Amino acid sequence: MTSVYETKYTLFNGIFLFSGSHTFILALTFVASIQALTPTHYLTRRDVERLKASLDRPFNDIEAAFYSIVGLSKLGVQVSDEQAACNFIKSNVDPSSVDSLFYAAQASQALPGCEVVISNETGELLLAAVSEDSSVNQIFHAVGALSGFGLPLASQEALSALTSRLSKEENVLATIQALQTASYLSQQADLSGIVEEIEDLVARLDDLGGVYLQFEEGLETTALFVAATYSLSDHVGTEPAMKEDQIIQLMNAIFSKKNFETLSEAFSVACAAGSLSQNRYHLPVIVVPDGPAAVSHHQPILRLQVTNVMSQPLTQAAVKLDHAKSASTKASVLHQMPFAVSEDIFELNFMNAKPASGYYDFSISVDGDSRLIANKVELKVKVSTEVGITNVDLSTVDKDQSIAPKTTRVAYPAKAKGSFTADSHQNFALSFQLVDVNSGAELIPHQTFVRLHNPKTGQEVVFVAEPDSKNVYKFELDTAERKTEFDSASGTYTLYLIIGDATLENPILWNVADVVIKFPEEEAPSTVQSKKLFIPKPEIQHLFREPEKRPPTVVSNTFTALILSPLFLLFILWIKIGANISNFSFAPSTIIFHLGHAAMLGLMYVYWTQLNMFQTLKYLAILGSVTFLAGNRMLAQKAVKRTH
Amino acid sequence: MSGAAGSGGGSVGSVVRRFLAEYSSGTASRLKVLDAYLLYVLLSGALQFGYCLGVGTFPFNSFLSGFISAVGSFILGVCLRIQINPQNKGDFQGISPERAFADFLFASTILHLVVINFVG
Repeated sequence: MTSVYETKYTLFNGIFLFSGSHTFILALTFVASIQALTPTHYLTRRDVERLKASLDRPFNDIEAAFYSIVGLSKLGVQVSDEQAACNFIKSNVDPSSVDSLFYAAQASQALPGCEVVISNETGELLLAAVSEDSSVNQIFHAVGALSGFGLPLASQEALSALTSRLSKEENVLATIQALQTASYLSQQADLSGIVEEIEDLVARLDDLGGVYLQFEEGLETTALFVAATYSLSDHVGTEPAMKEDQIIQLMNAIFSKKNFETLSEAFSVACAAGSLSQNRYHLPVIVVPDGPAAVSHHQPILRLQVTNVMSQPLTQAAVKLDHAKSASTKASVLHQMPFAVSEDIFELNFMNAKPASGYYDFSISVDGDSRLIANKVELKVKVSTEVGITNVDLSTVDKDQSIAPKTTRVAYPAKAKGSFTADSHQNFALSFQLVDVNSGAELIPHQTFVRLHNPKTGQEVVFVAEPDSKNVYKFELDTAERKTEFDSASGTYTLYLIIGDATLENPILWNVADVVIKFPEEEAPSTVQSKKLFIPKPEIQHLFREPEKRPPTVVSNTFTALILSPLFLLFILWIKIGANISNFSFAPSTIIFHLGHAAMLGLMYVYWTQLNMFQTLKYLAILGSVTFLAGNRMLAQKAVKRTH
Repeated sequence: MSGAAGSGGGSVGSVVRRFLAEYSSGTASRLKVLDAYLLYVLLSGALQFGYCLGVGTFPFNSFLSGFISAVGSFILGVCLRIQINPQNKGDFQGISPERAFADFLFASTILHLVVINFVG
């Protein structure tokens, strides 16, 4: 039967991957989901100390006292001053409040030798609170208080009240409180209905990226859920219906937060940590390397810390290396080796297997207890070594190959005596081999550079030396090919060899020799400036757009006056011709027309100064239609007058 | 004909004088009024153009709008003159002088609207 979780996981992968062959991909995801997740978050020793410190605070009310005392007891420690805590509880308990009684009862139970005396009325109050009319929260507190004070309780009635109340309050927190209440009730009552709620709650968890599983209500609710589930399961004796991956995802979510804002949040995480480290069914295992996961000849032992979620070492476990494979070649180097216990650390001397340097994938399994989960761990281990340079030959090879090459052998770390010349007739060549000092095997590190440095100009050119088929590194400097890199700057260069790799413990920077390089003088080399890439560049001055050249104001003012002169000429001519307005009839249409026309001209001026086209068109439409009608009438009258 | 080379200056002068005499006697005063207006517009446009040549085209849109206003007004004035000239009555049967004047006003309004928009 595929659970909701598996369906969701498969769907997630199925949608995400491209359609190729669906069956193949689905099969792949099934395989992937069978492999267990590795926990990403847990409480380190520092986290546990921090959690204890945040709980062990002076309390100002009984609720805070409850969180502190009970939270610390779940982590396995006591409050700093137990007697003072007990007195505080006794003096601050409010016998009329069910909540206060619950806190007092549970806290006093956690403190050894602390007895809170309560009256019969208080007992009656608590029993009355266990009914269908109280909320689940009240029922939970009442039952918890009764159980904490050791008072008798009718479990079956409490259970029926709880069940009926739970069907009305369907939220997550109420269900979790119901789980916690059921763990106080007698085992004779039929608690299976409540136990089934666990599965329903698991279905309501949100999967975040396949790594975290938590309620949308938050971290505190998730942590309380885990604590309640395990306390009920231990009480009833049935394994909680949660898969291994779900438990790990819940762990990741709960222990991802290391600083707590409220005391209740810290309390919930402490309860979850306590229940995940001590319950009858599931015990998550954390395997971390003690220090870096690296071995070498100086440090041949791989050390592992195998703990529970609270970083308490599981010394009874049997830790075994299933197999160690080389990360690059996938060849198995070691298998089925047990780890030895030394105090709280599990150790294995990996160098006994004489591995070559590089990275290895370790598959480790932790056994010894049937409750262990997340007990198959994959670890990447680095094996480092030291490199030695051998057979270093420096030679000048004649281009025409008429003269035999002169070879000089140099031993690391000495420098070659004399200098070598590379010019248009001869090339300079370098060859060497790199071996593992401890095993004698040939090495191919990541960084094998030849650096030529000109001390006078500060120029530096770096080349890569490449290995040939026999793993012999060769480098040749041909002045004709390489003159661009050197900017054709002739001179004496010091030659360095740089060897480095993540798996080498002794990276090498070796001044091998001096090389005199002479470049052909075809182009006159400009004065060499060492390529200074990181000095400030010349500042760019921003050129603002220069305003257009305008004529001086005098000129434009003169012109403005000048442009009015034709107007005067017009008036003079008109007077000379004899234009007059003696025929002006004061008919209304005439007046309206002239006014309207004048207004239109005025509108043009206003348009120029203020309005936009739309407004102008609006006014123009009004004025224009008025003027048109008046003008039409006026001109008609004129026409009539003319024809008569 | 009279020798063109010898009496060239004289003939131009006499042609001009004759033209002016005929113009002042033969043209209706209404048309003369309109001609004076056309002369004004012409001078106005020429002055603007001369100024632009002198001091440069910045701002170009203002120059264009002023110049086109002058040119447009001149063209509209010429159209009006053609239409109201009694000697052209045969060509413009359906258009009375009043109608021509109304057209002139309407077109001028549109021209001025565009010019004002463009002058900036």
